[in-house]
Amino acid sequence: MTQERSGLPPKGETILKLTKVSKNFGAVSALTDIDMEVKAGEVVALVGDNGAGKSTLVKILAGVHLPSSGTVEFCGREVAIDSPGTALELGIATVFQDLALCENLDVVANLFLGHEMSPWGLDEVGMEVRAWTLLKELAARIPSVREPIASLSGGQRQTVAIARSLLLNPKIIMLDEPTAALGVAQTAEVLNLIERVRDRGLGVIIISHNMEDVRAVADRIVVLRLGRNNGIFTPDASNQELVAAITGATENAVSRRQERKATESHEKGGLSA
Amino acid sequence: MSADMNKAQNAALDRSDERVRHNDTLLGAAKASIDRIRSGDLGMLPVALGLIIISTVFSILNPVYLAPNNLVNMLFDCATVGIISLGIVCVLLLGEIDLSVGSMSGLASAMIGVLWVNQGFPVYGAIAIAVVFGAMIGAVYAQLYNRLGMPSFIATLAGLLALLGLQLYILGPTGSINLPYASPLVRFGQILVMPAWLSHGLALLPGLVMIVMGLRMRSRRLAVNLSSSPLSTLITRAAVLTLALEFAAFYLNKGRGVPWMFGLLVALVIILNYALTRTKWGRSVFAVGGNKEAARRSGINVRAIYTSCFMLCSGLAALGGILSAARLASSSQQAGTGDVNLNAIAAAVIGGTSLFGGRGSAYSALLGIIVIQSISNGLTLLNLSSSLRYMITGGVLAIAVIVDSLARQSRASNGRA
Repeated sequence: MTQERSGLPPKGETILKLTKVSKNFGAVSALTDIDMEVKAGEVVALVGDNGAGKSTLVKILAGVHLPSSGTVEFCGREVAIDSPGTALELGIATVFQDLALCENLDVVANLFLGHEMSPWGLDEVGMEVRAWTLLKELAARIPSVREPIASLSGGQRQTVAIARSLLLNPKIIMLDEPTAALGVAQTAEVLNLIERVRDRGLGVIIISHNMEDVRAVADRIVVLRLGRNNGIFTPDASNQELVAAITGATENAVSRRQERKATESHEKGGLSA
Repeated sequence: MSADMNKAQNAALDRSDERVRHNDTLLGAAKASIDRIRSGDLGMLPVALGLIIISTVFSILNPVYLAPNNLVNMLFDCATVGIISLGIVCVLLLGEIDLSVGSMSGLASAMIGVLWVNQGFPVYGAIAIAVVFGAMIGAVYAQLYNRLGMPSFIATLAGLLALLGLQLYILGPTGSINLPYASPLVRFGQILVMPAWLSHGLALLPGLVMIVMGLRMRSRRLAVNLSSSPLSTLITRAAVLTLALEFAAFYLNKGRGVPWMFGLLVALVIILNYALTRTKWGRSVFAVGGNKEAARRSGINVRAIYTSCFMLCSGLAALGGILSAARLASSSQQAGTGDVNLNAIAAAVIGGTSLFGGRGSAYSALLGIIVIQSISNGLTLLNLSSSLRYMITGGVLAIAVIVDSLARQSRASNGRA
């Protein structure tokens, strides 16, 4: 992380551009005509209800699924991301919700998995030093990098997964629910980390259900609903607007609840007066 | 507070977390290994216990059992199935299995007989053809798995029958071909042993390598501010290993000596161990065995890993078959049938390679086959019928798998995967 990144586009330039991307699983259209842009040095939050297609979109960009139609442009070039390897080579790193760590391997092996230093005689010392340096920079509290992942807690695993995605100096990093399993302090650390990554000129895509986290770090908020674009917001948009876009109605479970609470407190206030 | 901070900064890079207990002394190292065993990471313990029990029981029943020449014989026998078992380790690490290694070895031994003795091919040509053919069969299994999603269990079960059929077909109606006794191949399989000085020299090597590598690793780690294991542990381990190997060489040299064929097995084990632990390929094999999807998403070519492991397994099975033909000086319809398959799989599991993938080492084939062969040899000395031998070997396999399962559960509850 400390060395200068080369080949990063200047801030504000579009790194990733999706045009009319669709994905069908049999008769189900998980994504329909999705348009999205990510610029260098920008955090884009992807929000939506369960089943809105967020994870499918991430998997397409990570090379796990191929889109059924539409184009993906990366640094101005149209690309076909046909395997996870291709995505990594392009510079798209992903932290999946299930973290995708090998529990039988230790932290160092997981960090460098698929990109080991000196493939014909693994440079264990070099990798361990790099691992410690990286984890220190992320202010991560991992007791030992030579213990198998199985012995780590959920938050520690999340940290390892994020550290791994940064190891390859990517241009874009995607985080699928990065704070879902984390405690208060660790969430703040991850948010700090996201900002640090953005300030280095990387594009960040973050998926989260936590509106507070999203508004804390995002520069733009892209709302998906039932596999379609449903508006782009700035972080100063009100909670109500966001929830309306996510659920597809101004009249929804969240607003009804808020109304009820408001009336209740109003009534209470009236009684005591 | 500031003193604390200073301490943390001065500590080695991997020693700044105060929650971890470090085992910096010989006693600490012993403590750590007891902890590991308790949490289900058994390592070599089952093999060591097994060997002690087996040798005690059999030497009481028949004193010839521990005689040097009997042990030399045993090592000759170890080499053939041991090499097959080495291939099994590769596929078990992926969490897959190859049930056709017995048939593959039988077919390879038949190919040697037919190509070399009947068709007049040069012996090395025949060996190369058999091994390459074996590797190709492995490639077919891998393609069935990769492209068609056929479980390796079924694909290799089909292969077991098909290869056995091919073996019977190429051997023809006579059913057995004798290999010339004076040929180097048969001499290698039956007679050739290392000179005493060489075996003693080779027995020194592992300890020396251990110390040299350990010192190099230590200086490199100290140079970059990482902690390293204490010298006393390193020297003790090297000394114990060297003493054990020198004694083994000394004892075997009281008989005929150390078989070259066993030397070949050990060499292959060391090569595979290097490949599994020190190369990117090996790391990928463990990753695929631990979490296939995670490996795929890390950019590992999972299909290529499957292909390489199945090819290695079948290729080594073919090589094992050739050596067993050399050992028996014949290619027959019986080669590779019976318990060869299960012995090879059992050896890998007994040695500590998990049936569930992602755990194990090349050494498990070597250690496991020594256990299996000790039992088999002891039972032969007792002149037991093959009915009893099958039952006992079956029981041993069952115990090995039970130990593996229990250890796995214990590891899971102790957070060691």
